[in-house]
This record gives sequence, C-alpha cells and structure tokens, in this order.
Amino acid sequence: MRLTPTESERRLQEEIRGFLAAERPDAARLPHALDARMEALRAWQARCYAAGYVGRAWPLEFGGGGRPGAEQIVIDQELAAAGAPEFANTVGLDVLGPSLLRFGADAQRRRYIPAILAAEEIWCQGFSEPDAGSDLASLRTRADERGEEFVLSGQKTWVSWGQFARWCGVLARTHDAGPRHRGISMLIVDMRSPGIEVRPMTQITGHAEFCELFLDEVAVPRANLLGELGDGWKIAMHTLGHERGTAALPRQVKLRTWLDRAVRVAAERTVDGAPLIDDPAVQTALARALVAVEVLRHHAYRTVGEFLNGGAVGPDSSSVKLLMAEAEQRLAATALDVLAPTLEHADAEAVEENEFWHETYLYSRAATIYGGTQQIQRNIIADRVLGLPQE
Amino acid sequence: MDLELSDEQRWLTESVETLLAREAGPELWDRLVEFGALTVGGEDGLGPVELCLIARALAAHLAPVPYVAGAAVRFAADADLGGDAVALALLEPGASWDAAPSTSVDGDLVTGRKVAVEHAATAERLAVVAAGRVVGLVDAGAPGVTLAAQPALDPTAPMYAVELVDAPMVALGASALRRMTTIGTLLAAAEAVGAAGRMLEDACAYAAERRQFGRTIASFQALRHLLADMYVRQASAWSSVLYAAAALDEDADEAARAVSVAKAYVSRATREVAHGAIQVFGGIAVTAEHPAHRFLRRIIVRERQFGDAAHHERALGRALAVVPQTVP
Repeated sequence: MRLTPTESERRLQEEIRGFLAAERPDAARLPHALDARMEALRAWQARCYAAGYVGRAWPLEFGGGGRPGAEQIVIDQELAAAGAPEFANTVGLDVLGPSLLRFGADAQRRRYIPAILAAEEIWCQGFSEPDAGSDLASLRTRADERGEEFVLSGQKTWVSWGQFARWCGVLARTHDAGPRHRGISMLIVDMRSPGIEVRPMTQITGHAEFCELFLDEVAVPRANLLGELGDGWKIAMHTLGHERGTAALPRQVKLRTWLDRAVRVAAERTVDGAPLIDDPAVQTALARALVAVEVLRHHAYRTVGEFLNGGAVGPDSSSVKLLMAEAEQRLAATALDVLAPTLEHADAEAVEENEFWHETYLYSRAATIYGGTQQIQRNIIADRVLGLPQE
Repeated sequence: MDLELSDEQRWLTESVETLLAREAGPELWDRLVEFGALTVGGEDGLGPVELCLIARALAAHLAPVPYVAGAAVRFAADADLGGDAVALALLEPGASWDAAPSTSVDGDLVTGRKVAVEHAATAERLAVVAAGRVVGLVDAGAPGVTLAAQPALDPTAPMYAVELVDAPMVALGASALRRMTTIGTLLAAAEAVGAAGRMLEDACAYAAERRQFGRTIASFQALRHLLADMYVRQASAWSSVLYAAAALDEDADEAARAVSVAKAYVSRATREVAHGAIQVFGGIAVTAEHPAHRFLRRIIVRERQFGDAAHHERALGRALAVVPQTVP
C-alpha cells in the first residue's frame, strides 16, 4: 500500500509540470470550428508524444516508451490537473491501440501503432449500430469473405471523431452459425475506401463530435483482420474493460478540476449581494460532490493497483465505471444548481462560463450510457463479481 | 499509489477471522489482547490500516467489545494501558460532536457530565475529554465517577451517562485529542463497513437460495441490480476507509480530510447497503429474531459516533469555501 509517489515518479511529475508550464495550449483559446480544433489537438498530441508523454508504457519497438504503466498514470493525472486539452486520438490511444497491441500481428502493430501515438492517423471505432446498442452481439453489419477480401456492408453509430478518422475498428458479422457473439470479427477499415459515408450528428451540447457511418460493399483486405476470425467479441470486451480500468484516474482528476472551478465561480458570483458559496446549503452540496469525486479516486487506486501489479482488468472495473458516472453526474448537476441563480443573467463576461456549465451538465447524462450502460455494468457485477444464479 | 494489502495484512485479517469464529463469549476481549489486536504503534505494533482491518472483522461478527475506543486511545497516546478496556467519554448532554466540552479540569481533578459512553460499565478506564481540548484517563472505579445506563440502540454496544465530580485524571499529551478523534472516526467507519459487508454477503446468499415464482429471487433483474448497487457502495466505502488509513499511516497532510470524506461516505453507503439487504430478505428481516436489525443498529450507532454524514459534509463544505483549492 503506497500513496506517496516514488522518487522517480516525483521527478517525472516535476518534469512534466515544467513541460506543461511552457507548452500547454490554453484550452479556452483553442479554435471553436471543429476542423481547426482537430488540427490543434493533433499538434498538441504530437508535441506531447515527442516529449515522451504519450504511450509511455507501450512497447519500444512500436514507438512506445517501454516504461512501467504507473508512469503513464502519473502523466495522465498531471495533464488533467493542468487542464491540458485532450489528445486528438483518444479512440486510438484508449480503445483500438491497446487492442492492436494485445491481439494484432507484428506487421499490423508496426504499421499502425506509431501513427496512433504521433496522431498522424486518427482512429475511430465502429461498434454500436442503430439496432445493436447494449445488445452489441446482435449487430448486423456483415463482412463476407470474397477471395483475399472482406466485403463490408452495414451501418454504425456513435462513431466519435469519425469525420477525421483515417482508420476505423469495425465489428462485423463473419458467420451466422453458432452462438452469435462467436460470429463477430474485428476489421481495420480504411476510411478512404469507396463505399464509406460519414454523417456527423449534432449532440445534446450542440457540438458534432460523433457520426453515423454507412458501409456499402466496402472492400477490406484480409490482412486487415485483427486477431482470428470470430475474435471480435473477445477483442471488444478486452478493449472496453481496459478503457474502464485505466481511464478512471485521469477522469477523476478532470472532475476534480471541474469541482474546483465550480467552487471558484461560486465564490466569485454573488446573488442579493452575498457570494453564492456563503450559503451553507451550497457548501454541503459541493461537499457531497467532493466526496463522490474523492471516493472515485480511492476506489480507482484499489483497482488500478491490482492492474499494475499484473492482475487483469477484471469485472470489478464495472464498479469504477459506475462510480465515475455517478461522480460526474452529481458534480455537473450540483454545479448547475449551485450556480443557477446567476446562469440566466446576461452578463457578457459570464457567457462562456455559463455555457461550459450547461454543456457539462447536458453531456454528463451520457456518462451512464457510453462504454456500457449503468444497467449493463450492474449485470456484469451481478453475474461475474457476485456470481448470482440465473434461474 | 495503490491500495493493495500486504501479505502480513492479509494474514492478519485471516487470523482475526479465525479467532472470531472460535471465540464469541466474554473471553473475547482477553483473546484480542493476547492476539495483539491492541498493540498499537511503534516498530512492531499495528498501524491505522491494521486497526481498520480488525475493526471491520469485529463488526462483521457484531463483537460486543469496545474496540474503537481501546484502539483509538492507544493510537493517540503512548500510555501504558496493559489490557485495559477503555470507554470514550466525549459527547456531552445537549451538545454536538463539534462543541467545545464544558467538562472542567481543576489541577488533576475533572468534573462534568458525559453521555453515550459505550461499554462504560465493563471498562477499566474512561478517556475523558475536557475544556481546553484536553483528554485524560480516569479510572472507571475512581471516587467521583457515577454511571447510569442509557437506552442504547445497539444492545451489543451498551451506553452510559457518566457523571464526574472531582474525579482524578491523568492528562494525555497535547496532540492526543486530535489523534484520538481522527482514528476513532475512521475506526467507527471501518466497523460500519464490516457490519454492512456481512449484510451484503448474507443477502446474496439468501437471494441465491430463496425461491419464488419457481426460481431463485437472485435471478430477478430487479434484485440483481439492487445487489450490484449494494456491492458498489460496500466496495467503495471500504476503499475510502483504506485510503484514509493509508493517509493517516503516512501522516499525509490530507489525512484528516480523507477521514472526513470516508466518514461522510461510509455513513450514507452502509445505510444504503443495510436497507437494500433488508429489502432482499423481505418480511423475515423485520422480525426481532432475524439478525438484520442488529447489524443495522450497529451501523447507525457507528454512523453517529464522531459525527454523522451531514456533520462531516458541513465541515468539508466549510473547508471548500475558505481554502484555496489545489488538485492533490
């Protein structure tokens, strides 16, 4: 059991704080238009990669840093604490990259991993479909083998950054016989292929970060199969577990910066002449959000500890996922309620801040849906952690 | 940053479990003393993490011993208590856990009234908190000490009102009160987690056996989700206790705040687990013979001790409002 960083972790913290002080773009100054914004985020990831802060624990031979996983966690927490912008290639880094490392052939890893790390090629994931959400195994996108190719047809949805992606990890049905999840394979699809159409969807916040993806007889070379035929389900589950297991700590730090921001705004803004934060009910509401965010960190330390000490990301990552969603939703709703008396005053200087809190609240509703809904996480815990009987 | 238990800590947990499976009678306190469960601090003694592991195990068995008090006083001060049981005399009539005590000290004589003094009738010593943030030890049988039994929600933690009139007291060191309150708060939380953990385990076992509509009730999604939520509360409540214990062990700046976070969270979380368990057991859990209410009673008593969730949330909220925020 260890809370304080080791000497080498402390040195890394110092180093990255120095880097961030000099290099970090001001998140508020990033271009608003999505294309220009994407270019800025891509450049930011490339700078961080050049400095050794991206893929720190990924293998050296594929362009990673070859260092212990704990170092990446230190880095991710520092980035989040400094309010650094997110990386352009989050889907590549958190989702498909780990799958390629675990299941990919050497040629695939050499081809794709370095460009994921340097943000030279953006990745997206084609998992969900309009009729296959929580019941992902019912997906209907088909990949039929024709000689040395697969011919891929179907429709995918919630494809984050699909409009910028060069590659997409697509789950598609390759056989119909046997249990339905065994008939699914994972294909690496070139987004420049003929037969691909990407349509951005405007989200609840007004931004269009995710897309629908239409696949019409898209030819995919056989060499772009990830793992074996029929491995798609296994790869997807590994990937989602990985995301749940390691994303919690940087996410927690991000939530903590939001909480601190809400506290600061509540101290600056007044209603009827008194700072919002002087109200004991406001203090208690913020304290309850603080408790949720802190306990998320404590619980994530326990699961991440098991992971870093060589254990797999087990079904218990579902409890971290549930706490992460709960903390985010509580914090966002609390901030909205606490600041409410000032949110509708048309003070020009406050517009951006108000918009941030409205967007944060609106998008927080997604936290119990994406990456496996709250209900799916509860199913996983009931089945695999508690081992409750099915009949 | 990880919260993995060491091999020694795992071994300790198993040994305490073995001891509790064998010994449930009046000898339990002496067995715990022999085992070393009250050997606190120093090179070989127990630290906050180990104390929490023991407190959790004791509450899972509803052990009727004053462990929170005994361990807290030993952690707080380097007093030679041998195997004595100690009762904490902190709360005063009509006052909150925050209030400055009105119990007064004159030379080495202490005078005042205390309530909710657990296990006072079987304790050899009282740890009395007095004006000026002083804590001292008073022999329970000393002249000037009178006990009166108080109704107690948890019969395994009997409570007494204590009247002290010029009772001789030996004051403990200057930091003793702060240390005693911090560890006591945490141990109360650890006990609540122990009691709730037992309820969760029993509720899962019961749901897997009890049949209605021709199938186990655990097969119904409504109950599977309830039990899953209870598990998340229980597991994260324990994480918050372990984190605070590790912070206290490392004497981290944030230790006191981490203890408050744990107490606030555990108080609400363990009640939720207990309520969920009673729902799973159904009507039988509303009978006196079913053990559910005994665990719930222990949970509520530990929730109140050293301040409940609302108390700690108010304190954390006040701190948020005045202290400039930095990300840990």
